[in-house]
Amino acid sequence: MTLPDPSFLLIQSLSGLTYAMFLFLIASGLSLIFGILRVLNFAHGSFYMVGAYLTYQFVSYFINSPAHFWWAVLFASVSTALIGGFIERLFLSRLYIREELNQLLFTYALVLILGDFAKIIWGTGQLSIPRPAILKGAVKILGQYFPEYNIFIIFLGLGIAFFFWIILKRTRWGRIIRAAALDREMLGALGINVRWLFTIVFTIGAWLAGLGGALVAPIAAIVPGMDVEIIINVFIVVVIGGLGSFWGTLLGALVLGQVISFGILVLPRLAIVFIYVLMTVVLIIRPWGLLGKPSQR
Amino acid sequence: MIIILLLAVLPLSESRFYIFLGTDILIMGLFAISLNLLLGYTGLVSFGQAAYFGIGAYTCALLMKKASVAFPFAFVAAAVAGALGALIIGFFCIRLTKIYFSMLTLAFSQIVWAIVFKWNSLTGGDTGLIGINFPEHLDSSTRFYYFTLGVVVASLFIIRKMVDSPFGRILTTIRENPERTEFIGVDVKLFQLLAFMISGAFAGISGALFGIFNHSLFPDLLYWPMSAEVLIMAILGGMYSFFGPLVGAAVILYLRMLVTSYTQYWPLIMGTILALLLFFFPGGIMGFLRSQRPFNRGDR
Amino acid sequence: MRRSLMLWIVLSLATAAFLFPQAANAQKKPILVGFPMFLTGGGALFGQPAKVGAEMAVKEINEKGGVLGRPIELLIRDCKGTPDEATRVARELIAKENVQFLVGGLTAAQGLALSEVAKTEKILYIAPISKTTAMTEAGKLHPYVFRAAANTNTEGRSAAVFLAKNPWKKVYTIGPDYEYGQMVTKAFVEWIKKNKPEVEIVGQGWPKLGEADYTPFITAALAKTPEAAFLSLWGGDFVNFAKQARPYGFFEKVKVVAAGEGGSPETAISLKDDLPLGITTNAYDLFYYPDTPEHKAYVERLKAYTKQEYPPSWAITGYIAMQFLAEAIKKANSTDTMKVVKALEGSIINTPIGKQTMRAKDHQANRGQFWGTTAKVPEYPFPILRPVEYIPADNLMD
Repeated sequence: MTLPDPSFLLIQSLSGLTYAMFLFLIASGLSLIFGILRVLNFAHGSFYMVGAYLTYQFVSYFINSPAHFWWAVLFASVSTALIGGFIERLFLSRLYIREELNQLLFTYALVLILGDFAKIIWGTGQLSIPRPAILKGAVKILGQYFPEYNIFIIFLGLGIAFFFWIILKRTRWGRIIRAAALDREMLGALGINVRWLFTIVFTIGAWLAGLGGALVAPIAAIVPGMDVEIIINVFIVVVIGGLGSFWGTLLGALVLGQVISFGILVLPRLAIVFIYVLMTVVLIIRPWGLLGKPSQR
Repeated sequence: MIIILLLAVLPLSESRFYIFLGTDILIMGLFAISLNLLLGYTGLVSFGQAAYFGIGAYTCALLMKKASVAFPFAFVAAAVAGALGALIIGFFCIRLTKIYFSMLTLAFSQIVWAIVFKWNSLTGGDTGLIGINFPEHLDSSTRFYYFTLGVVVASLFIIRKMVDSPFGRILTTIRENPERTEFIGVDVKLFQLLAFMISGAFAGISGALFGIFNHSLFPDLLYWPMSAEVLIMAILGGMYSFFGPLVGAAVILYLRMLVTSYTQYWPLIMGTILALLLFFFPGGIMGFLRSQRPFNRGDR
Repeated sequence: MRRSLMLWIVLSLATAAFLFPQAANAQKKPILVGFPMFLTGGGALFGQPAKVGAEMAVKEINEKGGVLGRPIELLIRDCKGTPDEATRVARELIAKENVQFLVGGLTAAQGLALSEVAKTEKILYIAPISKTTAMTEAGKLHPYVFRAAANTNTEGRSAAVFLAKNPWKKVYTIGPDYEYGQMVTKAFVEWIKKNKPEVEIVGQGWPKLGEADYTPFITAALAKTPEAAFLSLWGGDFVNFAKQARPYGFFEKVKVVAAGEGGSPETAISLKDDLPLGITTNAYDLFYYPDTPEHKAYVERLKAYTKQEYPPSWAITGYIAMQFLAEAIKKANSTDTMKVVKALEGSIINTPIGKQTMRAKDHQANRGQFWGTTAKVPEYPFPILRPVEYIPADNLMD
């Protein structure tokens, strides 16, 4: 096998990076929810799916205005956030006093319910929307073409990561969230309304997932089953990175993105086995992930 | 006992369909009860039981088809394979707790799925393993139904004896408080592993039955929604009751059959039932029924 | 407690069960045909129209008095994308609804699974869409299975024939990693190797069926700088791939020959401007071709039935399958399975796209397809195949 062309390697890794950004958006929401609420939200992939479908819907409402795609993204992700918050407040919160298994199963019930709602409202076929006009083209990198939209996603993902990092580190809300991840009861004792905190955190998590779905809508198929498809990869990301760790999620997403991107070249038919093996190995050797804390077992 | 009589009489209804449904319920019921050994009795939430089900199913079918092994041997091999798989996987999983435990069971189960899915030459990949025939003396649906009934009754008897024994008592103690149990000198890991293996063996048996019943096997039965479905069956029926999972299996399979003839939105129904269950009937059907009968002293 | 409780539960369940009317054993007037089809998910793009085509055929047959004086009743079930579900649904249709015939399945795996059910249950099964040759090859073929669709040999070889007409030497293949993709690519590669060995297959991509992200495959393919590519992605997968490949300039750099019915109007309408132009692809039917009176009449009826201005091409798969079945029952003058099987073997029917023969030797129809190049035309708001021709299957099947 001849030595691979450096421009090809770069392009391939940029592809992996793009996918990683989507994974990061969704996984960071999942990780946030787990870190604070201690709930592994199976339905996170469903929020992603809802974001994508709503984007499709809003694009058709706003079709006449110039920036219709961006409006759609905004409305879709915020709507998804509100749906998430609503579910948390009215349903999930009632299960907190029970064993964790109940909360987990409830999120699985949500997967089933939301999945079928999507089918009922938007049908069972595949939907798609075009890319936004200003990002339709491609840039030339080292002689190869790479889509502008993907470049945008990469920068946006990094931007959001940076933005969240600033919030967590520098603002009062960030401190509260980090404290809640460490010790919930203490936080309540300090006068913070923990119930509302949970709702807000869940809402933000849902927003991130919805945003991921909204942004993926122009480049992937909006189809029933996209919720189940993505959630497994998201689980792998948070396992590799560490459940509840912010940077871990980013790292996990980057790792998985590249593994998938190059895996299909190196082990074409076995890539799919390999990612699960990776997840297993991490769980066995270092269950708290690459950047998680052991105490969070 | 009365249930067994009723079940034994079922084939006389002359309806192929009810024999099908009955066999299906028995197989899934056994699978669900084997899961409950881990879930309800030992307190281990395993998301990967489909792995042992699938290992048992493919072992039995492959031995019969490709190696022309006689059915009784293939059948026993399925149980052994299931137990072996559980041993290996369980060994790693029990070192973790709670959510990490569950995720590792899921991860392993997905590996098994991926291997079966990709190993085309052995398992037929996603095209599946088709043409699994009834074994020689069981060559009709009715006969196979009776065979299944016999196997399931025997298996349940064995499992029942186990959970009623001191072994079973230790398992529930572990469920309640693993640290305490460790403290009083019980090797918790050993017992958890044993529970895993027994669970895996019976899952393997139900898998073997499943393969023959359907005359075909597809990797889908190893994919994680299968693990989720059997988990739901156990909880629906009542995970703190012995027969609960069987009841759960019966209800789910029956409802699914009804619902899917009218609408395609079965997942919606199942999700709603699950949600209602979690909010209003945490003990499952059996839990609910028990709570309606306050005067059950002296009954078994 | 346990005993009486269980009794209570079982009795109530049993009573409920028996209260639901069981299918009567008495001779029902309609002829029941079970129709499991891929109705939700990525395959729905093709499965839904196939169902519609079958429904329209049944309606037309019933309006003419049915078959042997009895109406046909189609019992439709969504078997999604898995062979598992197809098996379950088929057995339910047979055991509970007492269907006498089975038509359906979309993916190759579903075709095989349904064939298995047909074999054990001894029910006639016609596959309108599944193409894998595995269903009808020696060893797997049994009396009860028939295929009305084209098969992977026909499709792969037709594509190879087209490709060979051009001077391209370096070819890349991308196909979904499952039975259909593997078989059709194999047929393609083998034909090329035999008939134009100077062509080099520089690489092969195998995304999974229903892959959401094709970008690593696209870039891997481009890295090998092929002149041409043989694609066998279909339905939603093709739509996805085309959308994602566009910004990379894939279709300008690489000449594509695509199996998987990329030329069908459904795909074109779905992709609109994202449908690559200048690629060679196929379709089962086209509402704008051929110009024969039967075909035109069929298209008009389909337009009216579906209320769509540009009716779908996949409807014909369900339509022709039902035609074969109805004609066979008529010819056999009975609904007895073995009699209908015998009647179906060797039968020739008039379909809207011409005469089709169901070969007795391997239970396959000599189904060809329409191949052409995608082009923008002023008459329609989406690209169509022009030029286009019908490639008959007779020389390409074994």
